[in-house]
Amino acid sequence: MSRFIATALAATMLVPVAAHAEGQIEVLHHWVSQSEVDALNVIRKELEAKGFEWKDSAVGGMSGANAQQALRSRLTAGNPPGAMQFLGWEGVQWAEQGVVRDLNDLATAGGWREALAPQLLPFVTSGEAFIAAPINMHRQNWVWANRKLFDDAGVAVPKTWAELIETGKTLKEKGIVPVAMGDEPWQIGIIFDALLSDINGPEFYQKTAIDLDPEALGSPEMVKVFDMLREVRGLVDDNFVGRDWAVATGMVINGEAAMQFMGDWAKGEFLAKGLKPNQDFYCFATPGAVTSFQYLIDSFGMFTVSDETVQKAQVALAETIMDPKVQKGFNLIKGSIPARNDVSVDDFDDCAKLGYQERAAAIEKGSMQGAITHGFAAKPEFASVFSDVAAQFFVGKMSSEDAVKMLVSGIDNAR
Amino acid sequence: MSASTRMSSRLAGWLPRIVVAPSLLVVIVTVYLFILWTGVISVTSSKFVPTYDFVGLEQYVRLWATPRWHTAVANLFIFSALFLALSTGLGLLMAILLDQNIRAEGALRAIYLYPMALSFIVTGTAWKWIMNPGLGVQKVVNDLGWTDFRFDWITNPDTAIYTVVVAGVWQSSGFAMAIFLAGLRGIDNSVIKAAQIEGASLPLIYRQIIIPMLRPAMLSVIVLLSYIAIKSFDLVLALTNGGPGTATELPSTFMFSATFRRNQMGVGAASAVMMLMTVAAIIVPYLYSELRSENNG
Repeated sequence: MSRFIATALAATMLVPVAAHAEGQIEVLHHWVSQSEVDALNVIRKELEAKGFEWKDSAVGGMSGANAQQALRSRLTAGNPPGAMQFLGWEGVQWAEQGVVRDLNDLATAGGWREALAPQLLPFVTSGEAFIAAPINMHRQNWVWANRKLFDDAGVAVPKTWAELIETGKTLKEKGIVPVAMGDEPWQIGIIFDALLSDINGPEFYQKTAIDLDPEALGSPEMVKVFDMLREVRGLVDDNFVGRDWAVATGMVINGEAAMQFMGDWAKGEFLAKGLKPNQDFYCFATPGAVTSFQYLIDSFGMFTVSDETVQKAQVALAETIMDPKVQKGFNLIKGSIPARNDVSVDDFDDCAKLGYQERAAAIEKGSMQGAITHGFAAKPEFASVFSDVAAQFFVGKMSSEDAVKMLVSGIDNAR
Repeated sequence: MSASTRMSSRLAGWLPRIVVAPSLLVVIVTVYLFILWTGVISVTSSKFVPTYDFVGLEQYVRLWATPRWHTAVANLFIFSALFLALSTGLGLLMAILLDQNIRAEGALRAIYLYPMALSFIVTGTAWKWIMNPGLGVQKVVNDLGWTDFRFDWITNPDTAIYTVVVAGVWQSSGFAMAIFLAGLRGIDNSVIKAAQIEGASLPLIYRQIIIPMLRPAMLSVIVLLSYIAIKSFDLVLALTNGGPGTATELPSTFMFSATFRRNQMGVGAASAVMMLMTVAAIIVPYLYSELRSENNG
């Protein structure tokens, strides 16, 4: 059904629109929830102040897969939108097809490369070309915890995964669900990604999730990751099937469950209920010897178009997105932190401040890495093997050794 | 006079062809051309976008080396077999029972047929809650006092596919019933009377005379239901979303995620071709035998 809507929307968007006096740019994106739209309006207002009109083309659903399909049909029809929201490798892959505009002049003049963490560059550049302007950065490996439950049980914020499992067992004895989550592969993937780096260090993450080194993938260290994932399964209740992530967050808020592993988009649910970080709820990174920062970013790329007014609008939009003031305003609403490293987060909440600090430390230690589950490590055909194996292992009775074998053969098969 | 008559008779001869031509053209392009195109894509190395370099059967080898595909194929057979057998069986039973000149038949018929009016998305979502052990049937029965009662198929990867069968049968058996009921109404009463005069018992009449006479209805039901079974993409998506893990993956959900989410357009196309061949392998011989026996009979 949602495919039908996407196609229908794609079809309606083929109707050409009259050009605006100053220039108009159509932006294809998949942000449809209220906070996302509010955040986008920060960009939109600034763009309008520069005299350009933002034409909204939102195609929601399927975590952006519907918007991607809409884009495909638009490109096939030879009528690409002015700009498009990119996730993961999408921008790079379209750039390889030669349809994305190079923003290198703007990037050089504006010092964009210097303002971004070097780890981001593979996702916003293609060869010498600068292909997408990143607006925000989410961190995937957060733990959200109900402080009252922690206090009542007399447990502290865990510093290692072993402690976290012990804490969970203590809570379980008191009749509390230690970990709230659903059975969707991406929710399981969030835990798996975190364990890869937390247990064996960021170099291991690099070798497995990014370089796909067969030796590391089949190593005893990988068995340890699955062993720990099995321990985490023991902390999840049996009704987790079909549970939406926001419902799981609600369980932590209501005190039904103690913890949730989720990216910082979960923070909005706590703040919306008027809860305060560190007073009512804890936010802390998944515990590891080296604290990891597993990021995902949203960026906007511009397509090659012949209309000069649209070209001008593209420049204005890219500059607006990279404007530190806009990055701040946008991320205050969206719940993420600015993609630029040089934007102050003094006005942000404590969780965002902690994330910002830990990002700076992680960039130095090499533990700032893209999250596999959200497509910022291996390419999708490999990332999906990680999520398939982790999900099948988590819900079933597979042994860790079998899971490792399945992972190695699955990655080989996708090569 | 004769000229205008000739004109109109020529138009009358051409009119059906003119009327049918656009829809035929649309069918040729949107169905057969795209089947052909999918076939071509399946023998190329297409990943993110279509590319046209011939790699032979590499994508098929890759497809059959993917454990998720094996799960999907096994699930399709479990689901289709049970779904077809149960929907047809229950539909026939309900139709026969409704055909006994009972009171309020119209109301009952509407009630049984009503699930068909819902979309699979609604059915899937409703049954997801009904079968969730913490919300649905299990919780109600536990709260009533039977605390040992377990109905947690949906949480177990080995049994989750049966929950899809339950929801599918609930939705479609009323539809099968409607077709069988129409078939039963079409049977001449004198045949039954004659059998009764000969002293045949009612079960015997049904087994030996009426059910064999329902063959055309049976053909429609089986063809329509197998088509529903093959395309039951949205039911799985709403009910289990392929989970737990990847336990309820079906070829259709596999094809969608390979093509549109995993950069494996070639593998997705190969899986689509496999689905087409599976359907053809089942439906074509059946259609052939049914149509041939019709001609003979």
